[in-house]
Amino acid sequence: MSIRNTPTRWGHGAQFLHWLIVVLIITQVILANWAEGLPIGPKKIEVYAWHKSVGITILCLAVLRLLWRWANSTPELPTTLKPYERALAKVTHFGLYLLLFAQPLTGWMMTSARGFPVSWFGFLQLPDFVPKNQALYNAMKETHDTLALVLYVIVFLHIAAALKHHFLLKDDVLRRMLPFTKKS
Amino acid sequence: MMSVRSLLVSSVVSLVAATGALAADAHYTLDPAKSTLEYQFTQAGALNKGKFTRYTVSLDVAGDTPSKLDVVIDMASLDTGDKERDDALKSADLFSAAKFPQSRFTSAQITKTANGYDAVGKLTIRGVAKDVHVPFTFRPADGSLMGKVTLKRLDFGVGQGDWKATDQVGNDVAVTYALKLVAAAH
Repeated sequence: MSIRNTPTRWGHGAQFLHWLIVVLIITQVILANWAEGLPIGPKKIEVYAWHKSVGITILCLAVLRLLWRWANSTPELPTTLKPYERALAKVTHFGLYLLLFAQPLTGWMMTSARGFPVSWFGFLQLPDFVPKNQALYNAMKETHDTLALVLYVIVFLHIAAALKHHFLLKDDVLRRMLPFTKKS
Repeated sequence: MMSVRSLLVSSVVSLVAATGALAADAHYTLDPAKSTLEYQFTQAGALNKGKFTRYTVSLDVAGDTPSKLDVVIDMASLDTGDKERDDALKSADLFSAAKFPQSRFTSAQITKTANGYDAVGKLTIRGVAKDVHVPFTFRPADGSLMGKVTLKRLDFGVGQGDWKATDQVGNDVAVTYALKLVAAAH
């Protein structure tokens, strides 16, 4: 199997980016919920700092992933799919890509609008995305929280679809995104 | 008993001294509208800023040389642009502003340096007094007093309990002052 995609299989590059981002998104959900429950103190600041750093990392990986997708062929969906299933797949995938950008960006805007600058893992201080603005902060927090719920729904659909392909339709749609599997 | 002559001489001497003092000494106070007292600190690896909005400054100048500097800061006026953070800063584990409403610097001595002046004296924050050097420049012509001093918050006990850790909220706090002073009438 190659780094690059083939018409029937995702390459190592796409698989690596997919699963790395999966791990990071799970990390984000854990960090966000942990931080939110902490009392004001250095620990809360630290956990939010991790959340912000991981978020910026996801944003960079999302850019890389989109470039990689454009630079590669995309494996075809099975020809047996009905048109509405094909459309649903397109919509959920588009939604996932959109959220990979929207979540980090709304988070970055939120912290900038609050007046808390972001440092990427303590190495690099990012410019403030927007000027300090309480109303914008409120709006961005609302958006960021809502998009998190939207993400849960789309991820649920995404996983459900993958499992349906694997266990009910018995095609290779899931397998071709899994590393260490042979093409059936 | 003091003779009339010596009484007269001492009176003249005092009068001359007093007149001299009037001519050469000046007392300056703050023009708050044209002054800023700010601080920078590290939070989660990023540089954050804040300011004080209520403080008084008094500077005595002998000739054109500053001789005494006195600064009093109302700690309840600290402003980092975020109410939640300001409330945390004023809480007991940090500045404890209810118990220690004022911070104060009073110079014991001011010496001339290559770039301006160095005021050494007691700085009291959160009830802890430490000798610090406060460097500054002063221009009598327009009353501008400027400078910057870096303090360590933990020297003054600003950070109890969990806040003693410095990895998320740095120990160093850079205080910058750009003050406009006006000569007060005696």
